[in-house]
Amino acid sequence: MKVLFEKVDSKEEEQAVIKAVEVTDEISGAIELLEGDAKSFAVSKDGKVYIIKASAVYYIESVDKKTFVYTKAGCYDTKYRLYELEVMLDGYFMRCSKSMIVNLKKVRNVKSQMSGRIDATLLNDETVVISRGYVKEVKRRLGIG
Amino acid sequence: MSRLKIWLEQTMMISFAILVGIILEGLVYCIIDGAPLASFSLSWLQLLSVVLTGALCSIPTVFWLKNLECSKKQFIVRIILHCLGLYVVVSLFGLVFKWFTQISGFIMMTVIFFMVYIFVWIVTLWFYKREDSRINKALEEIRDEE
Repeated sequence: MKVLFEKVDSKEEEQAVIKAVEVTDEISGAIELLEGDAKSFAVSKDGKVYIIKASAVYYIESVDKKTFVYTKAGCYDTKYRLYELEVMLDGYFMRCSKSMIVNLKKVRNVKSQMSGRIDATLLNDETVVISRGYVKEVKRRLGIG
Repeated sequence: MSRLKIWLEQTMMISFAILVGIILEGLVYCIIDGAPLASFSLSWLQLLSVVLTGALCSIPTVFWLKNLECSKKQFIVRIILHCLGLYVVVSLFGLVFKWFTQISGFIMMTVIFFMVYIFVWIVTLWFYKREDSRINKALEEIRDEE
């Protein structure tokens, strides 16, 4: 596919136009990727509701049927279930274990342990575990699988 | 990675390591006995037994990899059980396919087994490290700036 880049002067002028015969998986992926930063969803903390940008999220965890969203500013809870957020966010958000979604853009590095699990250190120095079963998908999302 | 792929990969790796071990054993015996190195040979049955052992030893590994996440203590217990389980399998195959006929041969096979076990672990860890490196490189390109 031919790709054109045109420089603009302000954020407001930024836009992406994709011309294609049909919407393939790759094109859907590209759309989701481009829309990624614009996505936002409702979370709550201490009884107050906030709208946070998906790009601010480090990881999302499900504990006792409750879903918690972790950002640099702190931890929030949300009414959304993990599987709903997985569909909503997509792009670089991916399931890294049964109870967690991680934002790959917030991962500083990964390190395999002898036990087979992979420890991912995030930009806030927290460590989350990526199950070996999800490594193939991590590589696919990163374009190396 | 699919289970079939893991199984095939492990079968190739273990079979290769056993084969190297048997060849080394044969060469050592040739040197000790003063026989010419060319006198060492392997029958098709021995080669088949090596591949069969590799394939059988890979089965527990496939299931082992399925639920690897565990505590350090559990991991040590599992690795000991895995190693001993495979040692029993290899010993039985050695007995059936006559890899050894004397106690010295059995001791040699035991040494080879543990060398192979360590070799497979080292290769597996090397694969993990290489995978980590590829992932980290790809992460660098998409990482948010903070």
